[in-house]
Amino acid sequence: MIDLLPHILNGITLGLLFALIALGFMLIVGLMEQINLAHGSLFALGAYIAIVIVGGETVLSPFFGDFFKLMPLAWRYVAALLIAPLVVAIVGMGVEFLMRRTYAKDPLFGLLLTFGIAMVIEEGIRGVWGTRDYVLQVPSSISGGFIFQDLIWSTYRFYAAGFAAVAIGLVWLVIEKTPYGAIIKAGAHDNEMVRALGINLSRLRLIVFAFGTSLAALAGVILAPIWGIRPHMGVDAVIPAFLVIVLGGIGSFWGAVIASLLVGALVGLTGAYASEWSLLSMYLLLIAVTTVRARGLFGKKSVLEV
Amino acid sequence: MLPNPHASPKLVTPAMIVTLMFLATVPLWIERIGLYPYLGVEILIWSIYALGFNLLLGYTGLPSFGHGAFFGVGAYAFGLTQFNISTNLWICIVAAIVGSMIVGAVVSLFISHRRGIYYAFMTIAFGQVFWFIAVKAHKITGGEDGLLKIARMPADIGVARFDLSSNTSFYYFVLACFAVMIVALWRLVNSPFGRTLQAIKQNETRATFVGYDVWRFKVAVFTLSAAISGFAGGLFAMAQTSAFPDVMSLHHSGYIVMMTLIGGGLVSFWGPVVGAAAYLLTRDIVGAYTTAWMFWFGMFFVLIVLFKPEGIAGIAIDLKAWWARRRGAAPVVDPVKETGG
Repeated sequence: MIDLLPHILNGITLGLLFALIALGFMLIVGLMEQINLAHGSLFALGAYIAIVIVGGETVLSPFFGDFFKLMPLAWRYVAALLIAPLVVAIVGMGVEFLMRRTYAKDPLFGLLLTFGIAMVIEEGIRGVWGTRDYVLQVPSSISGGFIFQDLIWSTYRFYAAGFAAVAIGLVWLVIEKTPYGAIIKAGAHDNEMVRALGINLSRLRLIVFAFGTSLAALAGVILAPIWGIRPHMGVDAVIPAFLVIVLGGIGSFWGAVIASLLVGALVGLTGAYASEWSLLSMYLLLIAVTTVRARGLFGKKSVLEV
Repeated sequence: MLPNPHASPKLVTPAMIVTLMFLATVPLWIERIGLYPYLGVEILIWSIYALGFNLLLGYTGLPSFGHGAFFGVGAYAFGLTQFNISTNLWICIVAAIVGSMIVGAVVSLFISHRRGIYYAFMTIAFGQVFWFIAVKAHKITGGEDGLLKIARMPADIGVARFDLSSNTSFYYFVLACFAVMIVALWRLVNSPFGRTLQAIKQNETRATFVGYDVWRFKVAVFTLSAAISGFAGGLFAMAQTSAFPDVMSLHHSGYIVMMTLIGGGLVSFWGPVVGAAAYLLTRDIVGAYTTAWMFWFGMFFVLIVLFKPEGIAGIAIDLKAWWARRRGAAPVVDPVKETGG
């Protein structure tokens, strides 16, 4: 009998990280019913911006690298956590601006458009940063490992999972407990009525998109030290994100979070028996669940079905 | 607007004859303009793939984002049959078609109750499953490296035997396959079956109410489309003399969507062919100047999606209508019929 506890723990931390990646994707799809396939590329962009700030890479101009190198590592890391989401939010607003033309059309066009944008961003990253791998340094207080039950655990992984849990809580608070959240949800539910109440819906959508994409960048910065930074990382991230959204049910916040934990735990557990194949289990789970429940675990009716 | 259902469609249209005659001359001049015969092979193979894909996207309105899986399954089936069962070309090609058809049929059973974006999601998930298996099952597929040293066997048609090892002779073989495909697909999309697919594209619910068993049509068209993709995959394994998992990745599944859309698969029978040619020519011509050719192609794709989802063929149709208006004639708006006939 294999001791399963470490695998379950690993799985749950992985699940929280999946939830963190999916958070922004979830907001945009849940509140605007728009699929943002560029989410993964924006995630990658966040990680690459962090490299410029933390790693002092003199990529764009020597100025950036030299400027940030003056600060201690911990500051640079915090700066990356703040600046990367801001920069990516601006890019995200650009994406939303282009996407406006597709709102009245078949949701397929939004999907195609963001696929194209994802490709452009990924190729742009290749052009600026090259194809090599980067490693993001983290401050010594959260790097390294510790020993628990005769096993070595990565401190950063637990820090990242904790960070993810806090981010999930904060996003939930924004949506459920603030007037902004109420307006956003109302906009998703009946945008005619919201417009009639005098609320500027296009500005609202811009803000939601900026918020969602900045969460992608935040996830990118947090996950970069664990997964490494390479141009392909966007696809590796967007796939689990879309998977947990569909599994949890489009439009359901807690559905997606529960689906993330479920997928994480499943990948962790199957990893105990067949580590090579563990990632396959999440696709099989998705197929199994959606075969029985078309809208996922907690899904509601959505325009995306038509 | 649908063509008149009572007029029986021509088996061979003038557009086909002109296209095929033009394509037959390609090996004579392609090297003079600085390209190479192998590019022609690739364009034809991807055209077959895109034509098969367009049965779903353009004719039935079903977005599949995991079609690379079937292309890849065809390529692997071709290679594995050659290594383990028979070195007869025809048997290997049939294996590629049947293999991807079976896989496509199984997938279609799971997804055909879905619509729209959910359909796309499910195809992504299945595409990833097959890609993942191809990467991980080292013993069967050779993992990341793939199956190497697949031979181009001679084509034996009873009275004669053609050696396909040179790219020019292989080009003519693929051109023959392409010609068969064009004729067969043109017949198919103009048949009652093809009309029903277009009805499903317009409105699935209405097609159901009219009395069609939409689910069966969706299963059938997906299986057929997968089989054609597998056929193209088998040819691709011959062209590359190898089969590898890269073509099954999400990226490659996306490229086929891009090609089909850019060419104008939504409005024209020939759109996928135009798109495949545009994609591969951009890769070779723009790629010679800058490694960032994908960046520019992606930009172009974004612009097409935003401003002209009907693609290059749509632009051509607009120009034709504009020209007709200028000459004072009434514009003819019947894209499918017009570009085909």
